Amino acid sequence: MAEPSWLRQYLILERAALRAQLQYRVNFWTTLMGGVAFQGTQLLFLGVLLGKFGVIAGWGFPEVAFVFAMRLASHALYVVPFGALMLTDEMVRDGEFDRVLLRPVNPFLQLVTRRFSLMSLGDALLGVGALVIFSRQAPVDWDAVKIAYLLLAVLGGSLIETGIATFFCGLSFVATSTFSLRIFADSSITQFSGYPLTMFGRPAFYAFCTAFPMAFISFLPATVLLHRTSDVPLPIWLTTASPLAGALALTLGYAFFTRMMPKYTSPGS
Amino acid sequence: MSTAEQAARIRAFRGMTRAGTRSLLIYRGDLLTGAVTLVIQVVLAIAVWRIVYGDRGPVAGVDVHTAVAYAAIAACLQSVLLPWQFSSLPMRIRNGQIATDLTRPLGLMWQVLGQNFGVLLGRLPLGAIGLAVAGVIGALVLPPSGGAFLLSLVATVAGVLVAMLCNLIVSMVTFWTFEVGGPLIVYRFGSAFLSGSLIPLWFMPGWLRSSVEWLPFQAQVYTPVSIYLGRLRGGEALALVGVQLLWVVVLAVLLELVWRRARHKVVVQGG
Repeated sequence: MAEPSWLRQYLILERAALRAQLQYRVNFWTTLMGGVAFQGTQLLFLGVLLGKFGVIAGWGFPEVAFVFAMRLASHALYVVPFGALMLTDEMVRDGEFDRVLLRPVNPFLQLVTRRFSLMSLGDALLGVGALVIFSRQAPVDWDAVKIAYLLLAVLGGSLIETGIATFFCGLSFVATSTFSLRIFADSSITQFSGYPLTMFGRPAFYAFCTAFPMAFISFLPATVLLHRTSDVPLPIWLTTASPLAGALALTLGYAFFTRMMPKYTSPGS
Repeated sequence: MSTAEQAARIRAFRGMTRAGTRSLLIYRGDLLTGAVTLVIQVVLAIAVWRIVYGDRGPVAGVDVHTAVAYAAIAACLQSVLLPWQFSSLPMRIRNGQIATDLTRPLGLMWQVLGQNFGVLLGRLPLGAIGLAVAGVIGALVLPPSGGAFLLSLVATVAGVLVAMLCNLIVSMVTFWTFEVGGPLIVYRFGSAFLSGSLIPLWFMPGWLRSSVEWLPFQAQVYTPVSIYLGRLRGGEALALVGVQLLWVVVLAVLLELVWRRARHKVVVQGG
């Protein structure tokens, strides 16, 4: 029998995961609200802050809100298909990863479809809504090229987050617990990636471009669309090419994952 | 109840607390990363407020030093009060361990409270490290008087009690739904905003602020930090501590009511 394609395997497993999650109806709705509340409080925070102060490092609400919307849309595009990667730590610790290794399906694919994150649907709802609303309010003259660039940037941002999450999965094979690290990455991206990142000073900005590449998620492509590339201490061509960094981050993350997987040792009897 | 029984109960409660603390301390590496990452977040939060203020004078009557100190203290307090893995109750209900827990001589609520308290104690050093770093980079200010400092300590303890009771009441939802991820997240982020840990109530528009004042969350972070910074003084400060204590009583009664109903809802899963 021919082996079903990767995509088909993914769809079959993901559908099963979604069905498992839909068992608990109340949870479905509250989790959806959880996603909205999680990201909504951040938007509320920006609204209150900019309502009182007007600008952050020269960026006004329409611009900051646009970056926020791009980031959130990227996040949704990562967390809807790949959100289950967050559970890897737990599976490695409990030894449940043993079972993954026994099945004749790619381990990464099994991790991704381990559980459907309902909360991600809340993120998607708010992300798409915010992107539609705030990209109209942003000072950008939209044309087909810019819209295509925006979509590419959102996709690139989601791949950056997926790459980081995949890297942490690799790390969990050798570290006992990566929980704090993952929460840190997630909450730093949530709290800080919407700001004009150059405001934290050059060393921090370069760190956000390399060690922890959250500048690529929305800030760098947003400066291109908002004509603010002069804020960024990088060559313009590099800033403009920033949406491509996502593919690189995912490749590196996945390479690390496959290198570390053989180091997994089963914890239990 | 005899004194011997009472002593046994206190011992059992302490045992749960120790277990809670140990459940954290066992993952040393994770705790260490937790400390480092809290420090980074505190430093970034401080930077945000300094940049937002720029050369500006007081905004809403609050100067940059007060706003920065508030952000630093609130971030540390929040990380102690609202950790991601706070209560083991939802997990115990889901995997059926609740059956064993219910047969223990110490009541279930006390077991869970004891364990949560232990987690909180285990996380205290993290908050302390965050505060120490904030102090080193000059982001902290001293309270206006010894009295204000003492009252802020009382308010912190009351805030901790309010947070623990709120957390536990939300966890109890698991008795009805089995899954509690959703409610916990709504609560977590709702309270992060409403408690004033993301943004102090001073900067909120009037309508939002007056709604927030009717909720228990401001007792968790805003009240103790504002008293410490001298933004709330004298009668006003005492009144807000009174409100905190009132919330402790109201929430304790609410918890008891919820628990009475939940008892009839216990389903033991697994076999």
